[in-house]
Amino acid sequence: MDDQTRKATRYWTLAQPVVSAFVGSLVRDFAARDDVLQETAVAVIESFDRYDESRPFVGWALGIAQNQVRLYLRRRQRDRLVFDDDVVLLLAEAFEATAPEEQRSLAFLRDCLQRLPERSRELCELRYFRDLKPSSIANALGMAPNSVAKALQRIRDQLRECVSSKAATEGVTG
Amino acid sequence: MTSDIQELISRYLDADLTEFEQEELQRLLRSSSQYVDDFARAAQLHDRLHGEMTVNAMAEDVVSRSEFARPVQRKVFKSFAWIAGTVTAALFILGMGWFGADFSTRVTAGELDRLIAAQASSLDRIYRIAVEESVQGKNDPTPSDERIRPPKPPINGATLYVRHGNQFVLVRTANDGRSFVTGSDGRTSWAVRPDGPVRVSHDLSRFNRDLPGHENDVPLFQMEQGLEQLRHAYDVRVLPAETDDGDTAAEQAERFIVAVKKKGHRGPQRVEITYAEKSGLIREMRFVKMPYGPERLTIRMTLTDERELAADFFSHASHHSTDRAVEEE
Repeated sequence: MDDQTRKATRYWTLAQPVVSAFVGSLVRDFAARDDVLQETAVAVIESFDRYDESRPFVGWALGIAQNQVRLYLRRRQRDRLVFDDDVVLLLAEAFEATAPEEQRSLAFLRDCLQRLPERSRELCELRYFRDLKPSSIANALGMAPNSVAKALQRIRDQLRECVSSKAATEGVTG
Repeated sequence: MTSDIQELISRYLDADLTEFEQEELQRLLRSSSQYVDDFARAAQLHDRLHGEMTVNAMAEDVVSRSEFARPVQRKVFKSFAWIAGTVTAALFILGMGWFGADFSTRVTAGELDRLIAAQASSLDRIYRIAVEESVQGKNDPTPSDERIRPPKPPINGATLYVRHGNQFVLVRTANDGRSFVTGSDGRTSWAVRPDGPVRVSHDLSRFNRDLPGHENDVPLFQMEQGLEQLRHAYDVRVLPAETDDGDTAAEQAERFIVAVKKKGHRGPQRVEITYAEKSGLIREMRFVKMPYGPERLTIRMTLTDERELAADFFSHASHHSTDRAVEEE
């Protein structure tokens, strides 16, 4: 591995969590996200010689990710981006701006997950490990889909509060 | 319809919005940079949750799996020790992830090296393949050329013969009862179909293309290559050797590797390997949600025998009559 590839790999490793979240927010399917992320990683490494090091790497990688999402959706034909281009750009900027603080806070997520009630953890497992949507979870648990959607929102709110509180206590924000 | 931005974001991430609500979300995002930041933060939490839950489920799976594999005739009091050992092992896995896994990486790399080396010194091995689950992918990524190929012979119930040097013979039985044999002697790959000429190629992956794993650089049937791929594309954890109570011979002691696919790589979501601690003999491999055309297969390969097969067993000539035409590609 030459120095340039090693440097690209190091930058990519640091940027990957936020690029992953950005791609996931556009394609909204974890398997599809993995596919696009792989294509993005390849494109980032291949075009690294065009990266201007005076600019933030995350922003550059997010630009490449946007293109890869479009290419992916074009190949799939039956899906399209939910958001218009101007909103996608706004989102990319927001991911870049919020990532440093957010990723530090999320380091506490594992601890916060362990504090969830059993029922909430079960919902998380169905949603995030089994990759089920609220309607499928509702079928599995005999709940109304709307109740599942609200419960998931409530769990994420609790987790958000937990990680923020822990980050503040540990002095890692800001 | 709701215009609560937090609820819209939450339900958007769960792909649970109507088209009209999506338009409303877009309108709100355009109206406030605070909403856009909220969206970005929510999406990062959502994405990280997926990773965390996968790791959690992996550790819990290790615990339940070990419990299942335990012989039933154990004395009751011994199960206390086992539960303690298993929980310790699970905590070890979680702990490795929690503390950045420097130590774990070294241990895992060494263990994978040992396992790869062990494949070279093992006798020939015979595995039985079972498809535990076949799920149609939500998003059908099947390339168009994949759709027009003839049906693949079933992998369920197939027998796999393995020799070091990435040599293998895979015997599948077609629906009409006839055998479909593919293999490699490490120099050529070949296919002996029920009809037509025997085909031989110097491209070692030439006849892997209708087998699970070929699309993802995780070839089921070339174990050394597959183990190498784990090193690069998977987050690998080694469960420490079980501490037994003395009535199991050292030769019987097993280790268990769980490998979870890293983001940005293709392949089965999870690979589990059970192997003999002392010899490195792989007794079982399990591939969870392995992409296979439009399907996601969970496949288990169980060792049924270990012995020395004939020297030429992995060459095509051992698997067809001498009057069959052979076409070299």
